[in-house]
Amino acid sequence: MSGPLLLAVESSCDETGIALVEDGRRIHANVVASQVALHAPTGGIVPEVAARAHLRWIVPVLDEALATAGVSMRDVDGVAVTYGPGLAGSLLVGINFAKTLAFAHRKPLVPVNHLEGHVYAGWLLDPGEDEREAPPFPLVALVVSGGHTFLVEMRDHLDYRYLGGTVDDAAGEAFDKVGRLLGLGYPGGPAISREAARATAHDRVFPRAWLGESYDVSFSGLKTAARRIVAQAREDEGLPADEREGALAEATVAELAWGFQDSVVDVLAAKTIRAAEEIGARGIVLGGGVAANSALRARISGEAAARGIAMVIPRPGLCTDNGAMIGAAGARRLAAGVRAGLDLDARPSLPLARPTSR
Amino acid sequence: MTTGGPILLIDTATTRAVIALGGADGSLRAERGWTAGYRHGEELLERIERLLADEGVALADLGAVAVGTGPGAFTGLRVGIATAKGLAHALSVPIVGVATGAALLDAAASAAGTGALVLVQPAGPNDRVLVRRGEAARILPGGTDPDLAPGERLVAVDLAGRSPEDAAALGGLAVDGLAAAMLATAARRLAAGDADDLARLVPEYVTLPRGVRMPQPDEGVEVSGATPERAKP
Ligand SMILES: [Zn+2]
Repeated sequence: MSGPLLLAVESSCDETGIALVEDGRRIHANVVASQVALHAPTGGIVPEVAARAHLRWIVPVLDEALATAGVSMRDVDGVAVTYGPGLAGSLLVGINFAKTLAFAHRKPLVPVNHLEGHVYAGWLLDPGEDEREAPPFPLVALVVSGGHTFLVEMRDHLDYRYLGGTVDDAAGEAFDKVGRLLGLGYPGGPAISREAARATAHDRVFPRAWLGESYDVSFSGLKTAARRIVAQAREDEGLPADEREGALAEATVAELAWGFQDSVVDVLAAKTIRAAEEIGARGIVLGGGVAANSALRARISGEAAARGIAMVIPRPGLCTDNGAMIGAAGARRLAAGVRAGLDLDARPSLPLARPTSR
Repeated sequence: MTTGGPILLIDTATTRAVIALGGADGSLRAERGWTAGYRHGEELLERIERLLADEGVALADLGAVAVGTGPGAFTGLRVGIATAKGLAHALSVPIVGVATGAALLDAAASAAGTGALVLVQPAGPNDRVLVRRGEAARILPGGTDPDLAPGERLVAVDLAGRSPEDAAALGGLAVDGLAAAMLATAARRLAAGDADDLARLVPEYVTLPRGVRMPQPDEGVEVSGATPERAKP
C-alpha cells in the first residue's frame, strides 16, 4: 500500500486524538489522550474542563504521534480534522490547531464529519496487521456512542442514506444512566458490560421499544423502566430508595446489568440485521464507543455470519473516539477533492445524513 | 532564548481580536485589530497571513509567538491559544503566554497616568470578572458592585452600556494599547529566558459552572497509543 499520508486530528468530545494514517487504511500512529478519569467525579463531561484539557494535551499528543510513526510534518500529505458534530469548545481546539499546522506547513486541510469517522474506523489496519478486504458495498453502518445512535446505508464511499436513529437518548447515555442507578459510576458502558458478563440468572426482562417497522430506536422508556426495576430491587433487598445509600447484592447488580444490556443489544441487533437484509447489504460496519460492548459485538456478528454478511467491527480502541478514524475518512475526502479554507469553523450539530422519506 | 526574529502577538480574549508584530526588543512594529465578536477562529489565520505579507515578514522569520491567556471569552481564548501553539510548534519557536488582564491594566495606566486601576470584564451573560494588579482575577457575581478603594478607577472592557461611561472610555484606551503592552511583557520574558512550556500553556479561567472544581492541568488524563496495541486475531 502506498497512498497519501494524513495527519488526522480529533477533539470533538473528551478525547484528544492525533493519528498518522496511510492511504485511509494503515495506521502508523494513533495517540489518544483520554479525559475519562477527569470527568468521572462530575459523572459527565464539563465542556469548559474538556476544552482546557484538549489545549493542555494537543501538543504532546502530536509529538507522540509523529515520533511513533517516525515521520515529520514534511512527510505528511494533508491534515484532516473533525469539524463537527461535538462540543463547540472542544472542536475549536482541534480545528484551530489543525488549521494552523496546515497553514504553516502548506498542506491541504480536509474537514471530516466525526460520525463518518466512526463508520470509516472499519477500514483501518493496525501497524503490522495483515492486509484484509475493505468493507464491501452496499453496507449498513450502525454507529452507537454516548452522543449518537443511528443506522446508515452506504452504496459507495462518502455516500450515506439515513435509515433510522434514536428519537431521544443515545444508547451510551442510557448506559451511563443505568450505570449510575446500579452504583457502577461513570462511564456506565464498560462497567455494565463487565457486570452483565458475571450474571448467573437471566430472568429479569427489560422492555424493548420496537417503534414499529421503522429503523428508529428509543431509549428513554427503557431508562424509566430501569429506574422502576432498580427501585423495586432495592425495596426487595430492604435498601433505601437513594442509590447512594447502600448497594444492591452483587448478583442482583449483575442480573440487572445483563437485563438492561440485553434489551439494548436486542433492539440494535434486530434493526441492524433487518436493515441489512432489506437493502441486500454485503457488509455491516459497527462503530462508536458502544460498539466496544462485547455482547453487542457477539450478537450482531453471529447473526451476520448466519446470513453470509461480512461483519466489520473495529477493535475497541478504534470504536471509541480517535484520530485514526478521522484519517480513514479524511483520505476518502482528500481523494474526492474536499478541502477547507483557513476560515473553517466548528459545526457542533453537523449531521451526517438527514432523515429522508423512503 | 529568543532567536532575535520578530514576535508575533495574538490576543483573542476580548471581542476585539488583536494581532501584532513586534521587534525582539518588544517595540510595536504593526498591529491589526478587528471586531471578532465570538467568532475569532474564522479570520485569525487569514489576518495573520496578511499582516506578515504587509510587513514583508516570512513565517519562518518569526522569533517567537506571544498569546493572551485571558481572562476573557472562553471561545476566543481557545482559538487564540490553539493557533499560537500550532504556530510555535510548526516554526519551532518559543511561546509566551501573557495575561491579558494585566496587559490591559498596563495599557490603561499608560493612557490614564497615575492612579490605581481595577479592570472589569464580562464573564458569561450576567457575571463580571475583576482584575487588580498583583492579585488573582476573581468573579464578581451579577448584581454585585466592585468594592473600590478610595482613588481606584474602573477600567471596563467589553462592558459598554453595562458600566459607567468613563470606565468604558478608559477600557477603550486599554484595548487600543493592548498590543504594545503585551509585546513589552513578552519581550521582557523572552529576554529573561522565561518562555512558557508549549504543552502546558492553558488559558486563565475564572468561571466554571457552580460546584465544578478546576482540575490541575495534568490531572485525569491518560495517553495511549504511543505503541499501538495489536488487533486481536
Ligand atoms: Zn464519537
